[in-house]
Amino acid sequence: MASPAVCTPVRNSHKSAFNLRTAGGRMPLTPSPRTPTRQLSDVPGAQQESIHGTNNFMSRLAGRSVSKTSVRDSPKSNIARSNNSPRRLELGVSDWALTGTGNTTSTKQTPLKSRKDGVIRPRVGKSRITYNAADRFIPNRTASDAICNVGGKLDLENRPKSSKGEGSAILATAASAFDLGGRGSEDDVTLSLEGLCLDDEDDGEIYTKPSPNAVAYQSSLASACGVSLNTRILAFKPAPPESSKPIDLRSQYNRPLKPAGGISAQFRRRVPSAPERVLDAPGLVDDYYLNLLDWSSGNQVAIGLERSVYIWSAESGNVSSLLEVPTDTYVSSVKWSGDGAYVGVGLGTGEVQIWDVEEGTKLRSMFGHETRVGVMGWNKHILSTGARSGLVYNHDVRIAQHKVAELVSHTGEVCGLEWRADGAQLATGANDNLVSIWDARSLQAPKFTKTNHRAAVKALAWCPWQSNLLATGGGSHDRHIHFWNSTTGARTNSIDTGSQVTSLRWSTGYKEIVSSSGFPDNSLSIWSYPTLVKNVEIPAHESRVLHSCLSPDGQMLATAAADESLKFWKLFEKKAGAGGASRESSATVKASVVKQMTIR
Amino acid sequence: RTSSASFSPTHKHRNKSRTAIMSQPKVSSKKESSKVHKLALKGSSKVVSEFFEYSINTILFQRGVYPAEDFTAVKKYGLTMMVTADDQVKAYIKKIMSQLKDWMYGGKISKLVIVITSKETGEHVERWQFDVQLFGKPSKAKSSKKTANKENTGPDAGEPVPEKTEQEIQAEIQSIFRQITASVTFLPMLDGNCTFNVLVYADADSDVPLEWGDSDAKEIKNGEKVQLRSFSTSNHRVDTLVSYR
Repeated sequence: MASPAVCTPVRNSHKSAFNLRTAGGRMPLTPSPRTPTRQLSDVPGAQQESIHGTNNFMSRLAGRSVSKTSVRDSPKSNIARSNNSPRRLELGVSDWALTGTGNTTSTKQTPLKSRKDGVIRPRVGKSRITYNAADRFIPNRTASDAICNVGGKLDLENRPKSSKGEGSAILATAASAFDLGGRGSEDDVTLSLEGLCLDDEDDGEIYTKPSPNAVAYQSSLASACGVSLNTRILAFKPAPPESSKPIDLRSQYNRPLKPAGGISAQFRRRVPSAPERVLDAPGLVDDYYLNLLDWSSGNQVAIGLERSVYIWSAESGNVSSLLEVPTDTYVSSVKWSGDGAYVGVGLGTGEVQIWDVEEGTKLRSMFGHETRVGVMGWNKHILSTGARSGLVYNHDVRIAQHKVAELVSHTGEVCGLEWRADGAQLATGANDNLVSIWDARSLQAPKFTKTNHRAAVKALAWCPWQSNLLATGGGSHDRHIHFWNSTTGARTNSIDTGSQVTSLRWSTGYKEIVSSSGFPDNSLSIWSYPTLVKNVEIPAHESRVLHSCLSPDGQMLATAAADESLKFWKLFEKKAGAGGASRESSATVKASVVKQMTIR
Repeated sequence: RTSSASFSPTHKHRNKSRTAIMSQPKVSSKKESSKVHKLALKGSSKVVSEFFEYSINTILFQRGVYPAEDFTAVKKYGLTMMVTADDQVKAYIKKIMSQLKDWMYGGKISKLVIVITSKETGEHVERWQFDVQLFGKPSKAKSSKKTANKENTGPDAGEPVPEKTEQEIQAEIQSIFRQITASVTFLPMLDGNCTFNVLVYADADSDVPLEWGDSDAKEIKNGEKVQLRSFSTSNHRVDTLVSYR
């Protein structure tokens, strides 16, 4: 489409600079071959028409001038043809704005006329005329206003101003905008053109850049909100490592002033992992259900080895054979009486013998059980015996009719039996996976029967510092240690040890409990209570640890294992104190004496 | 317990910095005779990032994000500081710190935020914010807004830096850590099942490694805010703010 524009020079030099830019490099310097005078004189009329009927105007323009304007000649030829002096031409370039628009622009320069008139320069000045839509006539304000010329940004800045006050004025001036001949004021033209331009932009343009005002507003808003536009909030994306366990801050706040970690590291007691002494225990029956080891209050260790019971004196280290049972049976359990004077011996036949160790004589035999007696327990003059049949008898060893009670609850072999220190309660465990807790005053039925274990329960231990706390350990299919409140029957804690629990012993000096393990560990484990933290694990024996017992001072643990050895472990060495130190020193003195003697 | 209901850090800081500036001549004149060790920008950044490292450790310990057994005691700032001994947590913090140091040296950081989040609900329960102000680098908000007032604030860019001894700086840092430790008395009990995140307010033109990504501010809704102490070096000023539910 041929959309001609009329471009008349403007004298204003700074404006012309912009115009040059917007002219897209086209600078038709050629005066129309037609008489410029006529052309110019036509313009006002045409433009006036255009206000009322743009199409008409366009077509007229096109009809008149297009053919010429499309021709572009070299400046040289222009010069030659137009007979303009070089000076004049120069004026045209630099002083006069020659604005062409886009591809559809044709321009008419009328230097002659303007020169001739001299004063007419304000004319159409900067009327760069564009057609936005096919039928619309859009003067570009960039030609008229230097400030607005820079870019769309600034245009927008000016928008509020013009739209605010001059809405109607724009229309009015727009009407007169092209009345160029009649109205000489350059300013008026500028204003009106600007108004037009703004109007059209309103309709057609999409703003891509925010105005400076908007930016300022955003930044002030941002700063008021404490956020900076120039700041990014960055997060370290990898998830932090999981905490190893939930933390109770209360316990942390109550921790001692010195850091807990330091304390535990610095003051964690050392448990020797080597045995103090190892004794051979040839012929020790590898039978989980028997109880063949016991340490008396008189510091003597009794061990049942096949058909014999040996007494090892921890004071002197002497070993003596206490008894030997007939070849048709074997020793299935040994148990010291509370005073350490007598030892009860259970036999495979179900017979129970009482021996006076000092004298080395048998005091009496008690019959009643049909099956082997795997476990026994003393409560003063009462000896409780548990048998393979699942029956537990209480024997009063002072009287002829010794059987004073029959405790019926288990259906499997009874292998664990412990009296509470005060004799008020009795705990029994058996191969039926049950733990029974009996009240000494009513033995018709157990006070509680616990079914939590999934294997035979041999390991039973009453807590020395909390009388109603009972620990029980299950066999190889169970591997758990359960802790019970024997008053309420509630299970208070549990440990999965990972291996068969063959015995449990509470420390008397520490808040700890030691468990001995069968397959696969064959170890001793010391657990803190109630934290249930495993303080130490000692690989104790080559095969499963069958029995254990504590020395009367509570420091030493003796273990007998299926590897036919008896080992003594100083697990609960008394805390550094006067007593312990003196004993240590005396021991070392003794050792040095021995050594000297050996040397001699 | 001082809690500010409204929160506009930029204003606060501007005021603070101004008062600090005004008080500086006094300080510096007083200190002229004493041995003054002025920290270079790099040294100052190191002090600040070190402070951040201990802050993270202290907060993780004090707020029970990790169990107390996982921490060991070290002497720092004249205090016994708890730092994690857990290899994983150590590595995690180390990764954060190495990047943080880069940014600090570049002067890219305006805030460091440690957000403690409940694992169960995913709610942000506590937010420790350390505002970093770099002296001699007029903040953009200031320059854009306060051009009119700039003349009145004096040679802001020139910044007559407070010349503090290392001991003074250490004493300031020490009192912040004492405050952080003491803050457990008014902060609500955490249930011990929490995790944490580290946020950084960095300049838009900062280099961002892959491990860091844009995030929201993880603000605590309707949270209480308590402004703790501040410390400043020759080049930085660090303000501490804790907000909690």
